[in-house]
Formats: sequence, C-alpha cells, structure tokens
Amino acid sequence: MYYRMTLEDKVRVPPDRLGEDLEKVILNVLQEQLEGSITKEIGIFIAVTKVLDVGQGELIPGDGAIYYDVRFEAVVLRLSLQEVIEGVVVETTSFGAFVSLGPIDAMLHVSQISDEYINYDERNGRLICQDSKRYIAVGDGIRARVVALSLNEREPRESKIGLTMRQSGLGTERWLEEELDREKEKREGR
Amino acid sequence: MESYTRYERARIIGARALQISMGAPLLINTTKVEPLEIALEEFEQNVIPITVKRT
Repeated sequence: MYYRMTLEDKVRVPPDRLGEDLEKVILNVLQEQLEGSITKEIGIFIAVTKVLDVGQGELIPGDGAIYYDVRFEAVVLRLSLQEVIEGVVVETTSFGAFVSLGPIDAMLHVSQISDEYINYDERNGRLICQDSKRYIAVGDGIRARVVALSLNEREPRESKIGLTMRQSGLGTERWLEEELDREKEKREGR
Repeated sequence: MESYTRYERARIIGARALQISMGAPLLINTTKVEPLEIALEEFEQNVIPITVKRT
C-alpha cells in the first residue's frame, strides 16, 4: 500500500552547497539519498515531496558539512503479508511469472497461479491452465495476494516478494471479468 | 556572553577554514588563498555564521 508519511532525519549539507537556498538543498540531498532505497521499517521510498521543518544545524569536528534535523514528507510503498495488490505481468518463464508492482517486481510461482496443472507455452510466452484453458501472458493485469516478503536493504534488486492467485477473487483481469459475466448471467437467468 | 574563549575561537576559525577548503562560498572579498588565512580574516570582520552553544 502506498503511504504518505511525515519523517524525521538528519541531513548532511556539504560545504560546497552552502550558498544556495537551504530548503532546496535539503530537498535535493534527501531525494538523492532516499529515493529508490528500501528500509525494513518504512518500505520502498518513492519520492520525497516536501521539506516541512529545518532545525538549527550542527557542526561536527572533522567534517566541514552542516547537519540539520529535518522533518519532511515522503511517498512510500509498504507491502505487508496477505495484502491484496494489483500488478502487470512483465515476464513469463517456465517456473512462473514476474509481476511489476510499480517500483518493484514480484514473483508469481507457477504453483501459485491456479489449482489446475499449468503448461508453459514458450513460443507465445504464456502459462496455460490444462483444463480450463485460461492463460496468463505478458502484459496482463492481475490481482494477487502477497504471501512472501523478503526485503534486502543493501541490494534492493535482490528483494523477493512472493504472490499467489489461488484464492477466490484473485486472478488475471480477464479471468475476473469472465467470472463476473458468468455471475451476471446466472442472476439474470433467475 | 562577552567574548569567545580561546578554544571557541580556535574551533570556529578551524571549522570555517575546513569548510572553505571543501569549497564553501566565501563571505568576504580577499586576495588571500590559504583557507586558514581567509577564515581568520572572516573572523576578524565578524561575518562567520557559526554560533557557540554553551551548555
């Protein structure tokens, strides 16, 4: 889920940027430092939007830079287990599909796509259910649930997020639309 | 507070010299090139924006 949070941190302003407008410099430094990074407590930093408060500024012996206590607003993506999310399939392989959630990719293992047996069609890049012939391909929008979350702070690309679609209400957009149509027909038939 | 102690003076001038050596913009017009001399001149003209918090 995306959150807009108010956070506090110490920001280091290097000496060569001391002449400029303070809030702009602090916003810049925060953006360079935080955007794209991951922390376990807060999540994935997407953007630092605004600097709210700047403290007095301290000098530390040995470093010519000035350290400010800053309160700022940031947009963050924080995923939790069992959360239902929507994403787009960006790659299919024989062992599953990779789903983009925006700032990060998650993995949908082949065993978590459906209760049926799944075949991988390498030529068309599709994973096809054997009995119902439903398939999932690159570019499909899906609704899935987060079942595994392992965020690596040092190597954000090594983070692993596991998804499942083996529950009612989950699946690709196409499957969900078909089910919805089927339900409507049933109700009208009555 | 009347005047700085010798230690405060030393610390202020030293910190300002370090900043100048790291590329901070100068606050006075001077022909000097050494960061320490420039910091000394700035201190004498009372333009260094560093304050001392005495606790």
